[in-house]
Amino acid sequence: MTASTHRGDRSLAAGQRPATPRAGTPGRPPRPRRPRPLIAFGHWWWALPAIIAVTAIHYAATAAGGFFAFTDWSGIGSFEFIGWDNFTRILADPVQLGALRNTLLIAFGSVVLTNVIGLGLALALNRGLKTRYVLRVLLFMPVVLSPLAVSYIWKFIFEYNGPLNQFLGALGLTSLQKAWLADPTWSIWVILVVVVWQNTGIAMVIYLANLASVDPGIEEAAALDGAGVMQRFRHITLPSIRPAIAISTTLGLINGFRVFDQIMALTGGGPAGATETLATEVYKETFSLGNFGYGAALALMLTVIILVFAIVQQRVTRDRSKEGQ
Amino acid sequence: MIQHRKAFRRGVVLALPVAGVLALTACSAAGSGDGDANGFTFTYQTSNNLESPYATLAKEYMKSHPGVTITLNPQPNDRYGQTLRTQLQGGNASDLIQTAPGTGQPHSALTLAQAGFLEPLGKSAASLIPKGSDSLFYIGDKLYAQPVDFTVNGVVYNTTAAAKAGITKFPATTEELVQNCKTLSAKGMSFVALAGGAPPNLIQITQVISATRVYAENPDWNQDRSTGSVTFANTQGWRDTLQTIVDLNKAGCFQAGAQGSGFDAITNGLSRGTALAGFIPGGSAKELMSAAPDQKMVVQAFPPAQGGKTFTLGGSNYSLSVNAASTKKKAIQDFLDWLAQPQNAKRYAEISGAIPVSGLESVDLAGSAYQPVEPLLRSGSYAPLPTTVWPNESVADAISSGVQGLLTGQNTIDQVLAKMDAAWDQ
Repeated sequence: MTASTHRGDRSLAAGQRPATPRAGTPGRPPRPRRPRPLIAFGHWWWALPAIIAVTAIHYAATAAGGFFAFTDWSGIGSFEFIGWDNFTRILADPVQLGALRNTLLIAFGSVVLTNVIGLGLALALNRGLKTRYVLRVLLFMPVVLSPLAVSYIWKFIFEYNGPLNQFLGALGLTSLQKAWLADPTWSIWVILVVVVWQNTGIAMVIYLANLASVDPGIEEAAALDGAGVMQRFRHITLPSIRPAIAISTTLGLINGFRVFDQIMALTGGGPAGATETLATEVYKETFSLGNFGYGAALALMLTVIILVFAIVQQRVTRDRSKEGQ
Repeated sequence: MIQHRKAFRRGVVLALPVAGVLALTACSAAGSGDGDANGFTFTYQTSNNLESPYATLAKEYMKSHPGVTITLNPQPNDRYGQTLRTQLQGGNASDLIQTAPGTGQPHSALTLAQAGFLEPLGKSAASLIPKGSDSLFYIGDKLYAQPVDFTVNGVVYNTTAAAKAGITKFPATTEELVQNCKTLSAKGMSFVALAGGAPPNLIQITQVISATRVYAENPDWNQDRSTGSVTFANTQGWRDTLQTIVDLNKAGCFQAGAQGSGFDAITNGLSRGTALAGFIPGGSAKELMSAAPDQKMVVQAFPPAQGGKTFTLGGSNYSLSVNAASTKKKAIQDFLDWLAQPQNAKRYAEISGAIPVSGLESVDLAGSAYQPVEPLLRSGSYAPLPTTVWPNESVADAISSGVQGLLTGQNTIDQVLAKMDAAWDQ
């Protein structure tokens, strides 16, 4: 023990933790140094199990999947390294190109429709309406329901003998009755309707959260200056909710690329592949047909596509007004 | 307060390893079963909440063999093949596993055997192999699967509903059948209930029709396709098979909206009598009659074209195999030997609605649902289910997707045949 500690000098080097009582408490005996506890709160390594789990389950598995994309593994037994063959086959296969087209249609279709409808609902339910809280709950409810369970209900509605065709029949519109989920033209749009119905609520909530921070006074001032509804929306509301647009469209786009449950429950990718997407093709090739390597290559392509579009979309929607500040 | 914190921390320190041990125990329990030397685990597929024939027989075996414990691990049939592959690859599959004869499905015995996951079986299974089906069970001289059933894959036909509709005898030709379709359509009924949105039913209808168009003419067609001497595209029988489906669709033989229907269309249609026939395995007749006791159902062969030969599909759809990694091989072989005994094979058939695998010669089919196809079975006019012989799952996938495309007008017959050939050769 040094002389300085006897004097109560606490001039420790920066960053060093005091090991003895603070200065200015004369007469109080120094507390004995406690042994370092086995587990203490507030240390970074509390996150270690989570980091290990995420790395092992998510990133290591993804990396392993990426490796198998360059093999001909069937899911069992041995495999051979075949380079870029799986990717060449994918790009030459009209079924996979059709799946890519459907993926893009559902992703962009759902992101546009959910955001336009979600923003419209948010604006309508932002202020004024007395029943807005009840309506918000009702419109948000589809988001919390299981996509698979909800899709089976929609499947029942769209079945040939289902309520939709019966309703059309009751109106005398029998010529419009059809097997909606087995129609090569309509089935993909039915899926889009279900996806949009289920995801609009989340877009509405994101916009509502951002709209709450828009000062009504600015809009009132603009109105007094003679600005119309559309002008106020374009020049005040829209710039104010730019962060919400960025978040909502990014999440919507990623979810749109990954749509799987709804397709499997509604059409299973049919009729004759008309509603296959990259996500359903990954499942089918990998788990139904035993083409694990080929399925892994499809999954890798889907991951890269999502990554590229997410980055592009982030750049497009970022707030440039704060650049250079 | 400090005491509380200490106790909490001690709890955390203890909880982590305990949770780890519990998790590891749970993981290992699925595969290893119990430590009983005479016990083993048994995985099979199940599609409903009724007791599986395997479960019933396992219980009867345990009752007659005290000291033996069979731990049952039923798996949903829609993911069965993949689940089994994952378990085998991960080293935690059950000791005894239900497989399918041949190749062509994810849980096909020969595919799994080639990957080294199955143990060759003893001699008791050899006598059960249906005539002409050795290639579905053997690799070289090693037997990898023990058949448990003999299933006729034809048409399950509701005679009660047919009589009500004024149809007194099953059509002898496809042309007669098409005529009946027109009569039934006028009454708001359909001859066939088709699950056009369910791939297995599209594969089934194609295979069953191919019996009269392809395999009646050339029972060795699969062998010829393997050697490359024929293809789907250059075989008139396959072209006729797909054309028959198109013709049936055009003639209104299927219920309205058939191209998107599920299996409920078949079960509802046949049990309510709004449809007369369904392309489902023969054993389903028993299940349907138990659901609708007022309807009588029989198994029929799909009628040939005018001047064609009547033929059907018959063979074993299900088999049992032994996990090569199992340490309970003696106990399993004893169980398989017991199952191979004629009285137990008959018991399985009674429960499942199939024909006993122990030999058609000793079975009396008079008065049973199989009576209409008895002459075909006795004369050997049947071939094994084609998908059990084909080299991979992709051919069946090409059929299901292609035939649905024929129903919706998305595909032509030439396109479908080309896809089937491409899938075979991949």
